[in-house]
Amino acid sequence: MYWVAGGFIFRRVGSPFHSLDPRVKLLISAELFVVSLTAYSVTQLAVVMGVMLCIAAVAKILKRVGRTLVFSAGFSVFIFVINLFARQSLLTSAIYSVRFLAIIISTSLFFITTSPDELEQVMKSAHLPRDVVFAFTTAVRFIPVLMLDAIQIVDAQKSRGLEVEKGNLIKRVRKMVPVLIPLVVNSVIRSGELAEAMESRAYGAVPRPTSLNRYSSSKRDKLVAAGSLILFIITVYIYVRFPTPL
Amino acid sequence: MIEFRDVTFVHQTGKTALRDVSLKVEKAEMLAVVGENGAGKTTLVKHVNGLLKPTKGTVLVDGEDTRLKSTAELSRKVGIAFQNPDHQLFSESVEAETTFALKNFGFSRELIDQRLNWALQFFGLDEYRNSSPLALSGGEKKRLTLACILAWDPEVVILDEPTVGQDAIQKEKLSGIIKMLRSTGKTTIIVSHDVEFIWPLQPRLVVMSQGRIVADGPAHTLMGDEKLLEGARVMQPQLVKLYQRLRRRPDSPFASVNDARMWITGPVGVG
Ligand SMILES: Nc1ncnc2c1ncn2[C@@H]1O[C@H](COP(=O)(O)OP(=O)(O)OP(=O)(O)O)[C@@H](O)[C@H]1O
Ligand SMILES: [Mg+2]
Repeated sequence: MYWVAGGFIFRRVGSPFHSLDPRVKLLISAELFVVSLTAYSVTQLAVVMGVMLCIAAVAKILKRVGRTLVFSAGFSVFIFVINLFARQSLLTSAIYSVRFLAIIISTSLFFITTSPDELEQVMKSAHLPRDVVFAFTTAVRFIPVLMLDAIQIVDAQKSRGLEVEKGNLIKRVRKMVPVLIPLVVNSVIRSGELAEAMESRAYGAVPRPTSLNRYSSSKRDKLVAAGSLILFIITVYIYVRFPTPL
Repeated sequence: MIEFRDVTFVHQTGKTALRDVSLKVEKAEMLAVVGENGAGKTTLVKHVNGLLKPTKGTVLVDGEDTRLKSTAELSRKVGIAFQNPDHQLFSESVEAETTFALKNFGFSRELIDQRLNWALQFFGLDEYRNSSPLALSGGEKKRLTLACILAWDPEVVILDEPTVGQDAIQKEKLSGIIKMLRSTGKTTIIVSHDVEFIWPLQPRLVVMSQGRIVADGPAHTLMGDEKLLEGARVMQPQLVKLYQRLRRRPDSPFASVNDARMWITGPVGVG
């Protein structure tokens, strides 16, 4: 339970990747996402995975990506089995399940290396309404809080004789009720309190509140963005021009 | 009854919350644990019902290693009421909330009825029997969590910050409940920052600081040690402070701190 929570918590790490403009990180992550999603051969997947793991190594987050992978492995196996049942070949099923992992890595590269503040800036620079930006970033910020809450709740219910690990699937799902209800109720209460506290501090009093962040990308950011775009276009070209069979 | 042997506990984050803790609590003993925020008090008690297992060392409950037991098994013996009621209340009614654990432990229907009635009456929650636990006031929620634990009559009762949010009358009642637990031979562990509440109970006091037990002894002697308490960021009870100041004067009206207490509150039943 604890390490799952850890996987979601953003940690400040000093690395060449972390210090990129968040918009560039989003761009790279989006490109990798598309490339992973459309990969259809073993070679392609291997290359994409290799590139992403290299980026993870540069960003010093290999360990955390590894944890995310372990966490999603169960689902990946599930996809593999379902495809086998659907009479896909062994290879196709394997590609589907690895592709799923690739997609997970591509998105987590962005989320693990981007702080909630940076996320806010990305959304603001896209000129999304302030309320939407605020709602989204607050939600992201509260994920770790929610996970810690969940741990406390599980502990309290275990102390009252709830055996979470026992029983068949249906029984286990039913046993989630004593955990989910306090979790949901807590977050509803918390969001109500947050809203009151914010209004008490004049949120929404003026239509255009003062902004303290000035955002400009450096030369390095522009170079990396341009480089990744070129690579992306080349990859898409290869995908389209040389369709390899599965 | 409960024994910690050189227990060290490291959280997944790498934070060491307990360092070489050794502690023995006998049956029917009353123990109070104090110490600064983050001293490791909650971590300590979570070891008693096996929610946490020691990284190093052993915890024995009734001579059995907690590592070999599930929390559900240990909880039958060890009831822990946690700090925050919002982290456990979930049922549609106070009645269902109170019987949740009893059903988990497989009590008979008659016994459940009997224990439920006792608990609700005892904690003054009978009038809310059919209301939602989530609609109760903060203090009432806290009392309900205590009722939920005492309902299954565990041999060891652990209360984490039981006085938070309770008014004076409820604190008085709680104090009465704890004394009753002691007189019926239960082992009681109270974790609290509320020294004014703990002190008159005259428990054995364990002072924790930065994951270590820095002192262990009768409350009436340890509470007189200003330096020790300051180190663990614990307030000295006002009465003890007053007594210590007065004692330096030749005309001090009290021969002992107990005298001073009796003078204000009248005799407090011990046991
Ligand atoms: N789930 C957890 N993961 C990581 N560290 C934790 C966890 N729970 C507690 N800690 C850390 O362990 C240390 C001891 O925490 P603990 O909750 O036992 O303190 P406490 O004495 O009960 O404090 P308080 O008086 O605030 O209740 C703290 O430094 C805390 O930050
Ligand atoms: Mg605590």
